[in-house]
Amino acid sequence: MISMRGLPATRMRALSTLSWWLIRAQFKTRRAATLLSMLAIALGVALGYAIHLINDAALSDFGRAMKSVQGDPDAVIAARDSAGSVPLATINAIARDPAVLLVAAVIETRVRIDNAPTPVRLIGIDVFSAMAMTPDLLPRQDEQAAAPNILDGGVYASPALLARLAQSAQDSQSSQGKDFGTRAGGTLKLLRGEQQWLATLAGDLPVARPDDLLLVADIAWVQARFGPADGVSEGRVRLAPDTDLASWRQAWAQRLPPGLLIRAGDDDSARVSNLSRAYRVNLNVLALVALLTGAFLVFATQLTAVAQRSTQFALLGVLGLSPRMRLLQVLLEGVAIGVPGSLLGLALGYALAVTFTQVLGGDLGGGYFAGSAPLIVPALAPALLFLALGCLASLAGASYPAYLNRMQPLAQALKTGFAQRPPADARPAARSWRYAHSWVRRLPLLPLLLALAAFALAQLPPLFELPLAGYASIALVLVVGIASAPLLTQLLFGWLSAQPLPAPQRIALQNVAQAPLMAQVAASGLIVSFALTASMVIMVSSFRVAVDQWLDHVLPAPLYLRSKATPLPLDLLGALAAPAAPFAKVERMANAALTIDPQRPQVALLIREIEPRDPAARLPFTGPLLAPPAAMPAVWISEPMAEIYRLAPAQTLRLPLLGREVEVFIGGVWRDYGRQFGAVVISREDYQQLGGNFQPTDLALWPLPGQQAQATAWLAPWAEQYGLEVADSAAIRRLSLSIFDKSFAVTYALEAAAMLIGLFGLAVTLAASVWLRARELATLGALGFDRRMLSHAVMLEGALIASVGLLIGLACGIAIGAILTHVINPQAFHWRMALAIPWTAVFAGAVITLAAAVLASRYAARQATRLPVAQVLANAQ
Amino acid sequence: MLRVSDLAKQYGKANRPLFSALDFAVGSGEIVALVGESGVGKSTLLNCIAGLDTADRGSVAIGPQALDIVALDETARAALRARSIGFVFQAFHVLPTLTVAQNIGVPLLLCGVPAGEHAPRTQALLERVGLAGFAARWPASLSGGELQRVAIARALVHRPALLLADEPTGNLDPRTADEVLALLLERVREQQTSALVVTHSQHVAQSCDRILTLTPNGLLESGCARQ
Ligand SMILES: Nc1ncnc2c1ncn2[C@@H]1O[C@H](COP(=O)(O)OP(=O)(O)OP(=O)(O)O)[C@@H](O)[C@H]1O
Ligand SMILES: [Mg+2]
Repeated sequence: MISMRGLPATRMRALSTLSWWLIRAQFKTRRAATLLSMLAIALGVALGYAIHLINDAALSDFGRAMKSVQGDPDAVIAARDSAGSVPLATINAIARDPAVLLVAAVIETRVRIDNAPTPVRLIGIDVFSAMAMTPDLLPRQDEQAAAPNILDGGVYASPALLARLAQSAQDSQSSQGKDFGTRAGGTLKLLRGEQQWLATLAGDLPVARPDDLLLVADIAWVQARFGPADGVSEGRVRLAPDTDLASWRQAWAQRLPPGLLIRAGDDDSARVSNLSRAYRVNLNVLALVALLTGAFLVFATQLTAVAQRSTQFALLGVLGLSPRMRLLQVLLEGVAIGVPGSLLGLALGYALAVTFTQVLGGDLGGGYFAGSAPLIVPALAPALLFLALGCLASLAGASYPAYLNRMQPLAQALKTGFAQRPPADARPAARSWRYAHSWVRRLPLLPLLLALAAFALAQLPPLFELPLAGYASIALVLVVGIASAPLLTQLLFGWLSAQPLPAPQRIALQNVAQAPLMAQVAASGLIVSFALTASMVIMVSSFRVAVDQWLDHVLPAPLYLRSKATPLPLDLLGALAAPAAPFAKVERMANAALTIDPQRPQVALLIREIEPRDPAARLPFTGPLLAPPAAMPAVWISEPMAEIYRLAPAQTLRLPLLGREVEVFIGGVWRDYGRQFGAVVISREDYQQLGGNFQPTDLALWPLPGQQAQATAWLAPWAEQYGLEVADSAAIRRLSLSIFDKSFAVTYALEAAAMLIGLFGLAVTLAASVWLRARELATLGALGFDRRMLSHAVMLEGALIASVGLLIGLACGIAIGAILTHVINPQAFHWRMALAIPWTAVFAGAVITLAAAVLASRYAARQATRLPVAQVLANAQ
Repeated sequence: MLRVSDLAKQYGKANRPLFSALDFAVGSGEIVALVGESGVGKSTLLNCIAGLDTADRGSVAIGPQALDIVALDETARAALRARSIGFVFQAFHVLPTLTVAQNIGVPLLLCGVPAGEHAPRTQALLERVGLAGFAARWPASLSGGELQRVAIARALVHRPALLLADEPTGNLDPRTADEVLALLLERVREQQTSALVVTHSQHVAQSCDRILTLTPNGLLESGCARQ
């Protein structure tokens, strides 16, 4: 009968009936607090689950997309430089390896179809090897049309592309009346830079993925028209079944020329997951914070619930409810909040995931995976995991109240109500004061030590390339804040109570001093929520100031023009060079991508017309600018590149450029908030001297003085004709800042939620502590205090607790803001910036919170003083 | 039945024990009044007997199996209370979130009486304490005397071997107090339960079988009015 296991079934059932009665009563009498705790748990679960679902879907979608176009090769041979190619000799050498079953060579390039705004991937395949390697790319000949087959120059479009072509043909019918290229037998004009070729549409790609814009042709046909002359883009290798893949790849990696790399399927998935890893972790930390605030709310709710029902639980104890059942009951109530909360969270998370992928795509607006809205497919195991996490948070919140409830001394709880600390039965009463005394004296030491630990953690380098120590340091700062609350309370109230004060104020001070647990809980909620909010505000503002300054530096020209992914047409470049063009200066730039590590996203190579002796005029350097030794080209690397690959100015670097490894000198490091995975700038002269073919994709334009309007008008027809983008620097700046603001919009929502939760925690605990003193207040009322005096006392109490919370919260917020700015951002995203504290915004927030806290305590005071004094005194037990 | 032997209790800082070497017994079906000056330790003694407070020494044997509650751990004490003890307080201590019937049903739940028996037993007892129509009422709507009758019904519904009452009528006006006490004694006699009733009222003490007086120097047995 004593242990749970020994309980007979009928008794179990009876106990669960009792349990259910209590839970139901609890939910009925504390509806708002319970609901809010549930919602907070739901929010945490929803965020975490949505992030998981979206990422999972995006990754598997990306994987499927890769497979569809690339097949499932055992290895891929490719050039490290996106402008480079794999020599045919290499392909032939690999094909002769006895372990190799098949090598499928592919040439891929981007073309425009008749100046359509979006470029299309043109893939040249060898039909026979493609049959085995990439069945999704196999063309289907349209037998009805009199079109050449693939070996005779037919090209084949994916269904998405066909639909796009039909649409644009319809759109242009009225203006040009020209119908071509929308069905087999039609002619397509393919453009790439200065090259133009006509091709005949000969059929479609029946199994291409629905949103891929693809054009497939024979590899020799593509090579003859778009190059490269003696190479291919990639060789996809299938090995004999009994080959050891890893050692084969390793052996070949050593034999390949330096400009080439060998990739495996795992590299692709690692690269894709590396793309958004830091961003994801950041969002997950936010989800964790939401879950923790949920736990805090459950804690506040259950603590007050236990306090308010202390007499009831003591009575149940007298009637024979075992201590363990008293503990279990409070935990069960926690679960009763956690389970529906988590279930709601799962549903909410699913809805969030679906909405977000529809609206923002698979990268949560982070800009990592372009274009596709992946399908969300929930699996059971992760759903259960998140359900368990939500319940765990709720249980964690309920555990201390449950412990207090178990430890309540029955006889005393019946006589005088809730005991805020577990009884100190075990130790003699005479010594307990000395304990408390020495504890109080030792108190400043603990926060101090923790603060030192937090500071030390903030100095640590990233772990697994994530700022884990930084996150731990933030958690410690919050602990320091909470741990130093009693100290500040003592100082403040010690000083205040020494002042000559009127009675209501004196009562308020005494109450805070005598109900340390409740005051502590209320203050902790505010400390944490205000610290997190202030720190986010500080971080975002620092970032925004830095981005603003950075934009100033990187947008020197009044006008910009860019083509998307294909080189700019030569006739435009020629016209710009002519004296009639209304421009004082034009700077051209080309883009390429280099693979330095196959498991990491590619590094951008920016080939710019930049003055090699004065690159600082165009790039915002963060440190010294060094001149290269004679005969060595200089490059200037971005801050993320320096951090990811651990590079510094004055070092030399072997860049996989133009099919070989080129030794370059790092002349300096410049700030870049645009490309998270690194960028290298090289001057056009150096690039061309190395043998590179400079094909500009972007232009910076300085119109002649006073001719800004003419310049824009001059560019308009070109932009129209070639689908180019023209923007002035002010517009780019506005757009960049609005993208910045949008991507931080979600943090504002979370800040608001955090503040609400903190305030609600304050209101709940304050109301409970007032409720616990209802008899005392009523006695005071009977002694002649009027209602106004009493409610003033309670409001003062709320204001005092809130001030302590806000003061500590502000200090913690600044510390956390500094950690976010100086540790988390650089380690997770390689963004460095100076700390810029928006004092007005922070103080305004503090004042508003204080006002809200006073309002919340006014509500609590109203509740307490509304009851007629006589009734309270009569009901007192 | 109840047998207290050599019981002693001292609160931490106090320089002398509240009581020591207490020895007495309450027979089966016997009703004993416990009187004494305020602060002498009557409530403490009752709490020690019920296992709500821990005695420093001695034993308290309760029920037909004579289990010593002092020697049990907290969980076993709770189980023993659930089975064998009923408690009535001066303050009524009724659970405000449960109806009158649910309040009375709690001990049945705790000692595992099959669910089918709850309603008839609760109903029968409600009638015996004169609250026949009150089953579905909430405690907030009851008067003090009615609440104390609910508490009495709750203390007896599981037919405990021992009833402990700490000034059960102290909060009631004299007329109601008489009614409630008469009811309590009547029900206790009816169920053949042993009872220990703390009281300040001479009148109440006189209606018991025996009177024990707690003094700082120990227990005094005094004459029995009823015999
Ligand atoms: N938890 C406690 N800690 C220390 N001393 C206590 C505690 N509880 C009671 N006492 C002391 O023990 C003594 C006996 O208290 P108790 O409540 O048993 O008295 P009582 O006989 O029931 O008095 P009354 O008739 O007024 O109810 C009192 O002097 C009281 O101050
Ligand atoms: Mg007493």
